[in-house]
Amino acid sequence: MKFILKVLKDFPWFLWSGWGAVASIFLFIALWDVGYQFYGDLVLPSPKETFSAVIGFFGDEDLMKDMVLTLTRAIIGFAAALVIGSALGLMAGFFATASIMSRPIVTILVGMPPIAWVVLAMIWFGMGDTSVIFTVVIASFPIVFVGAMQGTRTIEGELKEMVDSFGLSLWQKFTNLYFPHIFSYIFPAWVSGLGMSWKIVVMAELLSSSDGIGAALAVARSQLDTTVALALVVVMIGSLLFLEYIVLEPIKKEVEAWRD
Amino acid sequence: MANATKHYLHYPEEENVPIYLAYGFRPIFLLLAPYIILTAIMWAFVWAGVVNPFGNYLLEWHIYEYLFGVGLAGIMAFVFTGVPELFPGVVPLIGKKLKYVMLLWIAGRISFWMIDILPLFLVALINLSLLVVVIAWAFKPVVLDPLQRHSSLGYALATMLIVEGWFYGSMMGIFETPALEILKAALGIMMILLLLALRRVNMEVINEIMEDEGMDDKFFAKPFRYNLAIFSIALFVAVEFFYGTNSALGWIGLAAFAAILGILNDYNLEFESIIFKPYTIYLSSILVLMACGYGFMGADILYGQGTLQNHFRHFLSTGAFGLSFYMVMVIVSYVHTGRKLQSNYWMVLSVVLIFVATILRVSIAYFPEAASSLYVLSSIIWVLPFGVYYWQFYRYLLLPRADGVKG
Repeated sequence: MKFILKVLKDFPWFLWSGWGAVASIFLFIALWDVGYQFYGDLVLPSPKETFSAVIGFFGDEDLMKDMVLTLTRAIIGFAAALVIGSALGLMAGFFATASIMSRPIVTILVGMPPIAWVVLAMIWFGMGDTSVIFTVVIASFPIVFVGAMQGTRTIEGELKEMVDSFGLSLWQKFTNLYFPHIFSYIFPAWVSGLGMSWKIVVMAELLSSSDGIGAALAVARSQLDTTVALALVVVMIGSLLFLEYIVLEPIKKEVEAWRD
Repeated sequence: MANATKHYLHYPEEENVPIYLAYGFRPIFLLLAPYIILTAIMWAFVWAGVVNPFGNYLLEWHIYEYLFGVGLAGIMAFVFTGVPELFPGVVPLIGKKLKYVMLLWIAGRISFWMIDILPLFLVALINLSLLVVVIAWAFKPVVLDPLQRHSSLGYALATMLIVEGWFYGSMMGIFETPALEILKAALGIMMILLLLALRRVNMEVINEIMEDEGMDDKFFAKPFRYNLAIFSIALFVAVEFFYGTNSALGWIGLAAFAAILGILNDYNLEFESIIFKPYTIYLSSILVLMACGYGFMGADILYGQGTLQNHFRHFLSTGAFGLSFYMVMVIVSYVHTGRKLQSNYWMVLSVVLIFVATILRVSIAYFPEAASSLYVLSSIIWVLPFGVYYWQFYRYLLLPRADGVKG
């Protein structure tokens, strides 16, 4: 409860601290505008038109459905990767044998290009939800797994000895040593995994689905509608920025505060 | 509250120095506040058509005088007072030398109002030489400082000199650049100078107030935040100068808006809350007004016709410029006369009046039919705080320092 109150108390200043990032984004958009003036609408639509298209999406029922569908797929896939990756990563961290065994497998999973997973998923599950969600899970899982494993493996032996010597209860050990340490590793991994999910879901939909933002992107590409294509990208990036910086970052900041 | 703890290392040996020439800010503020009031009355006569020494270039000379007549006096006060403090080896400018500089400023103002009688090159020579004198005095410590701690101030002043020279060149027909475009750039550079000055003023004022109140925290005016704002404003100035109301300028305006608001994060300290301290509110209001200027101009370019720029620019001139001058005058008049910083109802009223004057002036954009009344009302309200300042502080400027320190 104290933790939540602290996050809420710091939230207004946290939001205010985003002005610098907003300024950088506006400068980037200015550069985008210059690109539009050089290359024209077909290659690079104007930011103003693109943002108008984004606003227009909210009045387009089909596109709204696509957006909701994509976000649902990304969230389901990410949630699955989070649960599986965290559980297995923690186990691998606690047992040295499991850690040694899992490392090469994780390397293989990380090294495998997501596009290859999309192709395999299409063969295994056909077009549709399962292929997309599977690709998201398999691409995000290794990131979460490694974070969880690292968090568990790096707890200092001296600290363990200290809590033992003080005779702390299991719950006290968990709340004062294991949880803060592991969480400070696993949480950034979750954030990275979330970013990966957001990217992969669009790519998977583009190739293996007839609905969702990815599929809408494919339609925009076939119709050479660069404005809609860019507007869809803006929606995805905007929602990711919102989740990562507005929802998760304040928690991350609070979780990692003990390091200072 | 607090008084200044940092001083020059050496004070000149000159004898029989009158108090009003004992330190750079004294004669400047003694003359500047009445001049601001006088000049407002003069401009009222000019706009009413009673007198007009400026021919068809009324607007150009009006902007010029506020930037390089009033504005330069403020810059002089900051430089002559701040440099011996920032570089303690620098000997303050006092006595006869200071008197000559002030006479040059007065000559500049007189020549300006007699512009229809005097040759333009003479007016240019007098006014440009004043800025040359200021730069020459500050050049060695500020620009040649091996650590380059405050060199940006020197470069900004040099840029102002170039821009002023360019303006006169344009008015004399030597350069083809429209004078108004040059003045818009000059206002942008003035905003950069204000930020550079504000960074240093904030550091001194907030820390001294906290120290005085026994607060166990430290305020830092973070350079990266100011640099981002300065970069955005500089980009705005350059793009506006070369490409007018290009749509990219709209986004840059919004970037400047966000970057300036970002500076307010400095007031969020780790252990202490200072955001509702009077001086924090006054100083942060300057940033809010400046941010509004760029934000409204950016939005107008993107989502309006780009025709309201002139009105929104008054967030910068009437607002940020006016308030920062008022605040610097008040702070310096307390701190550098050896007194503790204080806030009172008159100060609150003055800050509110500058806000009201700004909003009235900007609102002409939306109520053009009431333009005349709003112009007059805004001008009257804007000069009132400087009258209040003079009434409250002229005694301090004419009395020796309360703490017995020379200067």
